[in-house]
Order: sequence, then C-alpha cells, then structure tokens
Amino acid sequence: MTVPDALRATGLGFRYRAKGGWILRDCEFAVPTGCITALVGRNGAGKSTLLQLAGGLLRAGAGELRVLDAVPGTPEARARVALLTQDKPLYPRFTVADTLTMGEKLNTTWDRTGAERTVREGGIAPSARVGELSPGQRTRVALALALGKRPELLLLDEPMADLDPVARGEIMATLMAEAAERGTTIVLSSHVLPELEQTCDWVLLLRDGRIELSEEAGELRDSHALLTGHRDQAGNLAEPHTVVRRRDSGRQTTALIRQHGPLRGDWHVERPRLEDVLVGYLQAGETQRTAGAGRTEAAA
Amino acid sequence: MKGSLWLAWRQQRMLVGVGLAVLATAAVIAAYSRSGMLDALRSGLFDHCGTGPLHCAQTGTGLPLLLDTAPLKVLGALNIALPVLIGVFWGAPLLGRDRELGTHRMILAQGVSRGQWFASRFGLAAASTTVISGLLAGVFAWWWRPAADRSYGLFWYESTVLNGSGPRVVAAALFGLAAGTLLGLLVRRVLSAMGLALLATGATALLLEWAHHVRLLVPPLTYTSPGSTPKAPMGDKWSTGHYGLTTASGHREDVMNCPFPSGSRLSDCMDRHGYVARFYEANPAGDYWAFQWTDTAVLGGLALLLTAVTMLLLRRRI
Repeated sequence: MTVPDALRATGLGFRYRAKGGWILRDCEFAVPTGCITALVGRNGAGKSTLLQLAGGLLRAGAGELRVLDAVPGTPEARARVALLTQDKPLYPRFTVADTLTMGEKLNTTWDRTGAERTVREGGIAPSARVGELSPGQRTRVALALALGKRPELLLLDEPMADLDPVARGEIMATLMAEAAERGTTIVLSSHVLPELEQTCDWVLLLRDGRIELSEEAGELRDSHALLTGHRDQAGNLAEPHTVVRRRDSGRQTTALIRQHGPLRGDWHVERPRLEDVLVGYLQAGETQRTAGAGRTEAAA
Repeated sequence: MKGSLWLAWRQQRMLVGVGLAVLATAAVIAAYSRSGMLDALRSGLFDHCGTGPLHCAQTGTGLPLLLDTAPLKVLGALNIALPVLIGVFWGAPLLGRDRELGTHRMILAQGVSRGQWFASRFGLAAASTTVISGLLAGVFAWWWRPAADRSYGLFWYESTVLNGSGPRVVAAALFGLAAGTLLGLLVRRVLSAMGLALLATGATALLLEWAHHVRLLVPPLTYTSPGSTPKAPMGDKWSTGHYGLTTASGHREDVMNCPFPSGSRLSDCMDRHGYVARFYEANPAGDYWAFQWTDTAVLGGLALLLTAVTMLLLRRRI
C-alpha cells in the first residue's frame, strides 16, 4: 500500500461521557485519497462528530481513526488536514485581512495569494470586519482560512448550509478547482443531495452512528435498481438481491434494491440517481423503526 | 508557538495597554504627591512628632498633624482590587471568549495544539499581570516610604498597606487571573464567568482580610510587664485589642480590676488580686513580612493549583 487512505477507521467509537450513549459505534471504513467524498446522514447521525474526530478536535473513545496515516491532532496531521466546522467560528472583531494574517501566522505553510483570491472572488473587502459580513461571506472567509493552509485533506461540515444558490455554486466551483489543481482530498457533509450527484466520487453514509455505506459513487448508483411492479412478486426480490427499501401501496410495490444477478419477474426497472439511492438508505432505517415487524415479515 | 503568541498579543494588547496606562498614571501621581510629602517633612513641621501611633498636634490649634496620604490610599485600594479586576476582565474571557464563540475550534483546526493555545495566551496574561502588579506594588512601596509607620503617615498594618503593597499584590493578581481563567473554561457564557470570578476573588480577598484581623496565620506576640515599671510602648506594633492582667497560673483578667498607672498603687492592687503581670498582644512591625509571605504563599499556591486544574480540564473540555 503505497498511497495511504485519506481516512481509515477501525472499530471507531465515540461518546461524550463515559456513561453516555455512543454517538459513533464500530465504524469501519476507508476513504481513498484524491476523491471528493460526500458524508451523508440524517441529523444526529454523527457526521459532525466524525469530522471533528478526523480534525483532531475530539478524541476517539474506542478503536482508531487515521487521517493520511497520521493520528488526528498530532502536529503532522494538523499541518496536512484542514477542518471547517459547521458554525464556521471566526473572531467578529477581526477584519478580513486580520483573519488571513492570523492564518498565515498560525500555519507552517500558507498560500497568501490563494487565500486572498478566495476572499476577493466573493467580493469581500479586506478591511471589512468579520462580524459585519453576511453568513455567506463569512463562510467564504472561513473557507479561505481552511484553503490557505494548502491541506492535503479538507474536511467541510455543511459548508453550504447558509448560502444562497448562487454562492453555493461559486463555493462549489472553488472547491472543485482546488481539488482538480492540487489533488486535494475533500470530505464534505451535506444535506443537499442533488448537488452531490455531479461532484462526489465517494459516498460515506452514516446511520445512527454506524457506517452504512462507504463506496465509490458511480458503482453505488449502478449496482442499484428502482423497481415498480405488482405486489405479488415482491417476495421474489429478497433472494438473491438486497432490498434496501420497499413501499407497498395498494397492489403496487416500489422497491430500491441492490441488484445481484438478473431480475426475475415482471418489473418496471429504472436506473436510480445517486440521490434516490442515498434517500433510500436514509429512509430504510426509518421504515424498519416505524413500520415494525409486520412489513418486514411481508418482505421476507 | 510564534503564531499563537502573535494571536495572544493581538487579542490582549488592549488589556496590556490599559494596564500600562494605569501604571503610568499611578507613577506620575506618585512622583508628584511624594515630592509634596518630602517638602512637608523638610519644612520641619513634623520634627517634634514621636514614633508612636498617637497623632501629634499642631502647635496652636491642637489639631492632629497629618501628611496628605489620601492618594496613596487610593493606590492601595487599587492594588487590593487588582485580583478582582484582572480575574473579571482578563481571566474570565481568556479562554471563555473562545469557548463562547466556538473560535477555539477554528484555532485548533489551524496549526495550533491545545497546549500552545493555552500556554501562549495564559503565558502572556500571566507575564503582563506579574509585571504590572509588581510595578504597582513597587510604586506604592516607594511612595509610602517617607510616611511609613509614622503617626502623621500610614502604619504598616493598615489595610491599604498590608494588602496593597509587597509581593502579595503579585500573588493576588496571579490568583485572580488563574481563578478567572478556570471559570471561563468551566462556564460557557463569558458574562457568567465574569460574575463568578468577581465572587470568587472578592470572597478570597475578604477572607484574607478577616484572617489578618483575627491573626489566623501570623499569631501575635504577648508583651508583659510587672506593675512597678512602665510597660513597653505600643509604638508601631499592631495591637490585637487584647490586654489586661495575668495571674501566676497564666489566667487573664480585665484591666479594670486595677485601673491605675504603673506605680505603687498598681503594684498593691495587683498583689491583692494575685496578678503577676500586665500584658498586651500585638504584632511587631517586622511581622509585615510574615503577613506578606503567608499571603503570598496562600495566594500563589491557589494560583498554581487553579492553573494545574485548568490544564487538566483542558483536555476534557476543549
């Protein structure tokens, strides 16, 4: 193994208090370097916790997480990994120029022109106080701070949450350019699934603190099928395929399956978009929880 | 480390500036007021005054003759308030502001470790506190010297002198900083941390003041004299207010049982009651340093302890 994984977890677990519930549990996955990874999960699934663990802000309670083969929080990892947390904290009384100077002082490597360009592209005056910027502009300054250290691995926690669609597109373009030019590995958590379709080439899906998927995006999309057909033949699906999610309405059944081998029966087959697959997995946990045993039996 | 020191300086330069401005103001006023004091002393007006605690009177009017020590007392009061001010305005926001804004996450996500983040900002604050409080205590000592332990000046045991001068001022200021810093780490809101720092440092100051008054840490000496000869004068000693007569067994009784000046009537009265000596309790002037060093040890020890607790909690809380 010559190129280390960007992220590698073995038996990773985390909880805030010794007697508290596990936020993350038994996570096993590896994210290769050089790709853009979408970290997907519902609220409270543990996305922020995972990113903060990787950024060295939290310490694993069980197992191990490695970033670029380094232990998060060590000087080596700090120099190579940048993390932008969800609240994008900045000093409100600093000017934008002060904030970038701070980045220059705090980091061993610093790309001044790059950081200044990121800010300028957002039309932000260097003399403006951070506290007086709009949320979108603040995100851009925080992103400039993260990009300025020239990280090999960039961790972004909901970077687009408070941006308008235009700003979103611009920021995304900045990120794509960064990834393309320097081969930066990017892991970003997001709820905006359609946007991930074009940008991401790896998917990490968290559900209730456990890793549900860690897979190449294209493969994930291609291996799934969206079926519509008569309810009577639904029983045939479970073997040899994996039913991710199934919904019965009247005599009709729609199902998202991971296909293993040829399909039997009379089904209308659609190739799902990445978004459909992800939503399917996100909803799957819900159906099991709310629908209870009855429907699971029917599916078996 | 250089980078985090830059940030620490960038964020604390206001406080350092205010501290230095206060120091400069105090020094200017001290120089002016002290030269006035020296002029008054040189005029010969005070030459007939004794060393005791009793005021000497102006010839003619009989009013007490005093140096103008009011501004000196103000500096003493400022030095007493120093741990409270530093704890509230410097200690509490030191880590608390970052905790409230969440900005420590941004700093730690840059090339800075927890240890550097804490050490740089606490180190700068502690160094500035030591220098500023030390110089303020020094200004006080220099200003006080001509008026020290004179009936027309200030005695060493007065609160503004005992608490507002010497090494204890530095120890108290560092204690205030450490207490404020820890509270800022423990409490999520800076304003609450400031309020708690006010309570903690204020309560500690009052507690030590009380300990001085009951002589908890520096016990007084007992001065005895037989009834036949005059007793040793109180002079610049700090009386506890306990005095009277002692029996052979060491039992102490009220002085009003024999209310006479030293002489044969007093001796007779004492013999009749079985008293062997008169006594009073007081701390000699040399105990200024005993008070200073016990306070310095207590406050400095607390400062170290609180800093150690802060460093231990740093890993769990941040």
